Amino acid sequence: MTMSPLAYVRRAFRLLFRKSHVEAELDEEVRACLEITVERLIWSGVPPGKARRMALVEFEGVEQVKERVREVRMGSLVEQLLQDARHAVRVLARERSFTAIAVLTLALGIAVNTAVFSVLEAVLLQPLPYDHAERLTLIWSAFEKLGASRAPGAGPEFKELQRQTRAYQDIAGIWVGNGTLRGDPEPEQIKLGQVTWNFFTALGARPALGRSFLPQEEGPGPPKAAVISDALWHSRFGGDPHIVGQALRLGNNTLTIAGVLAPGFKLYFPPDSNVPTDIPVYIPFGGGLENRPRDLYFIRFLGRLKPGVSVPQAQADLDSVAGKLRGNYIEYATENLKLTATPLQLDTVKEVRPAILALMIGAGFVLLIGCVNVANLLLARGATRRTEIAVRASIGASRGRVVRQLFAENLVLSAVGGIAGMALGQAGVRILVSMRPESLSRLDALGVNPVVAAFVVAISIGSSIVFGLVPALEATKLSLVDALREAGRGARSTVKRPLRAALIVAEIALGFVLLTGAGLMIVTFWNLQKANPGFDARRVLTFEIQPRGSTVEQIINFVNECERRVSSVPGVETVGAISHLPLDDYPNWYSPYVPDGVTPERSKGLLADYRAVTPGYFAAIGARLVAGREFDQRDQPATAQVVVVDDLLAKATWPNQSAVGKRMSVEHFTAKGFVMGPAEVVGVVGHIQHHSLTDPVRGQIYIPYTQSPREHLSFVVKTRNDPVGIVDPVRHELRQLNKDMAISKVRPMTFYVTRAEAPVSFTAVVGATFGGLGLLLAAIGVYSVISYSISLRTRELGVRMAVGARPGEIVGLVLREGLALVTGGLALGGICAFLASRYLRSLLFGVAAFDPVTYGVAGCVLAAVSMMACWRPAFRASRSSVMNALRLE
Amino acid sequence: MAKSSELLQGTLDLLILRTLSLQPLHGVGVSDRIRQITNGVFQVKPGSLFPALHRLEEKGWILGEWSQTEEGRRARFYTLTAIGRKRLASETRAWKTAAGAVENVLTSE
Repeated sequence: MTMSPLAYVRRAFRLLFRKSHVEAELDEEVRACLEITVERLIWSGVPPGKARRMALVEFEGVEQVKERVREVRMGSLVEQLLQDARHAVRVLARERSFTAIAVLTLALGIAVNTAVFSVLEAVLLQPLPYDHAERLTLIWSAFEKLGASRAPGAGPEFKELQRQTRAYQDIAGIWVGNGTLRGDPEPEQIKLGQVTWNFFTALGARPALGRSFLPQEEGPGPPKAAVISDALWHSRFGGDPHIVGQALRLGNNTLTIAGVLAPGFKLYFPPDSNVPTDIPVYIPFGGGLENRPRDLYFIRFLGRLKPGVSVPQAQADLDSVAGKLRGNYIEYATENLKLTATPLQLDTVKEVRPAILALMIGAGFVLLIGCVNVANLLLARGATRRTEIAVRASIGASRGRVVRQLFAENLVLSAVGGIAGMALGQAGVRILVSMRPESLSRLDALGVNPVVAAFVVAISIGSSIVFGLVPALEATKLSLVDALREAGRGARSTVKRPLRAALIVAEIALGFVLLTGAGLMIVTFWNLQKANPGFDARRVLTFEIQPRGSTVEQIINFVNECERRVSSVPGVETVGAISHLPLDDYPNWYSPYVPDGVTPERSKGLLADYRAVTPGYFAAIGARLVAGREFDQRDQPATAQVVVVDDLLAKATWPNQSAVGKRMSVEHFTAKGFVMGPAEVVGVVGHIQHHSLTDPVRGQIYIPYTQSPREHLSFVVKTRNDPVGIVDPVRHELRQLNKDMAISKVRPMTFYVTRAEAPVSFTAVVGATFGGLGLLLAAIGVYSVISYSISLRTRELGVRMAVGARPGEIVGLVLREGLALVTGGLALGGICAFLASRYLRSLLFGVAAFDPVTYGVAGCVLAAVSMMACWRPAFRASRSSVMNALRLE
Repeated sequence: MAKSSELLQGTLDLLILRTLSLQPLHGVGVSDRIRQITNGVFQVKPGSLFPALHRLEEKGWILGEWSQTEEGRRARFYTLTAIGRKRLASETRAWKTAAGAVENVLTSE
């Protein structure tokens, strides 16, 4: 029989409004009975009007009857809940040490979870602070010949894309370079964001003061307007409320300040986009983007999708645009240009995500181990409470009621643990924030919020179920007879030993996974410390200047003079300069190169990082000369073009040959811009890590600064003692040369190394903390189980001693029991760690995810600590006298 | 005592269980039956009856279901559940013990 549609709808409706349905039923029931009473009265001869009045009198009001029924229903529920809670608090208050240990364990576990989840929530879950941030994507260009899959794009490419897209509401671009602010209080070198006029509109950010750019401001001519950050407004202009319309002297230009961005406005771009979080000054692109070379790729594209357009739809749109670009322009056809959309938020966090997830899992393990410990405590306690429970059951409490009672206790435990954990977790968050790497810059805005609070509540309740379920079911399983019989014998049981052993095995397994994870992170950190970045950061001071001069000669003379003056400062050993300092975040300079005698086919995809350096650079940074010579005063603008390459490039390009003397076509930066030209390799140096401490991204080509004077220069000064000590004399010397000179980013080289290490040291320190906590909790668990197990076997051990067992044998017996648990746990943990290790792989450096040494050490540490935990109870057992043991019966 | 509905709660529960152990009844049926059996000594008013019925249903001792009366009116009929039946037996024993004890006290010289 099929239900008629109408009945179906009615049923669905009733289910939806169940509560009012219950009310309606109650009403119907009472009214039906009223009618029945009336009918019976009429039937027995009472006139209808009188019958109704009599019935109503008897009912004392239909509403009152219903109200009393409601009271009964609600009352029983509330009363039971209150009763359970009161009872739970009473029981827990009575057993203070149990409660303290359980609450502390839970608080620790919940605290680490709160802290890590706060980070996860702020970085991975919270949408970026832009209007409808979910509609923002980056658009990467992929160039096959260049071998770049996440490359920026060119000006004409941008304009075409903007014209032809159907999926995007807005497409904007940014390129970040350097600039010098002139005027009061002193010149300052800053990061300069060059943007398309619609950049802020596309992001969905409005300036707090003034306006953002107008379409006509991104023009064929030089830029005239600037938008500044809130920080610069305060630091340089004292928060002047009439700032809009005032002049900003930038380099040789004077611009008008059009707007001030909101406080806290930041850019959240992925690290490999070279777009930093804080940019003090933005200006529109000048000179007309469509007129730029079609193969000068420098603009980072940002798109805002039309409402309702999905990323796959956007990708299809980009595919078709890329097809048209390939069809229309030979440059894009030979490069086989492709365009890729990646959601901004996902792309921004893709490097920190694995680390945060790994830490979250680690925190989860700490809590699980804590739960196992509390479960163990509850089981031990359950034994002493069986009599009470049995008696309660015998006087009429249903099994469900007893389970609920026990759960009320667990809930009270985890609620107290949760509150304490939340407070502790806040302290943890502060620690995490203080040591966060730059990639977690969003942590600035960290605080308690409803999502984190809900998470804490959820894990508190969740853990009360995890640790409470088994003991509660176990406690109610027994019959009254058993319990009372045992009560007479001091409430002991061997029933639960296998269960407790299983819990301990699980606990050791979890601890092992935590320890190996922490161990691998520590080894990674250690490897990073030992890793040779190709330079020596010790006693090196770095700073940036903007070279002055209108001709190449002037610029070169200026740089020479700077170097001469810095060398004259006492305590300075060597001075050099480079266009792109290693590990700095200035946009990379990388381009193709073509070795002579190589077919165009083979030279496809040959790319190198380019660096312009002064002769002193290699010595100052501590580079290793492998072959040939470094640059010297012979290399001048007019002399033969020469290059030094790194060993990576030399080996890849000329395997088994000396690179010195080889010729190739390389890119130069000249007054006309970037041009390719022939050059001879005169030397080979060891590879220097430029982008990270771990990945040698690609080979490097060094060009004499005289032959490629880039507009941007970092000085590298090797000192005899403390590099920070020479900062003031150096500043003084340079100011004498030019009082308008901006010196910025004055930092020891170790700053860059520490910053590059930060993500790893962060995960290593947090991971090691979790590993330590896991180890401690697991040791406590083993100790409590072994102690308990011995207390159950007092009689057996006593008998053994009575028949002549020596104390040593008793200790051995106990240790063997402990060892069996540990071995089981390690075996299980090994399997789990192996399965989990692939998630760690992307975080590791110089160590295999299944590193036998780390696994071995973690296993030994865990085994040793567990055995130490067994030792005390074992020793105590061997010392107890035979008489004592037997008397206990 | 005649008109008193100030029954001990336990007593009312016992009476309802006993009444329902013979056949399913709706609310009016229950109070009618109690009046009949006790010859009008106990008159259970709706104000006490319905809360008691719902309390017993909450405890799972009786079960309420919608059905038709002989006159064709829809009403909620209550039946005794298995738990309720056990409960009735034990409560009856307890009651008899207590009543016997009280009887002994009252008749002793």
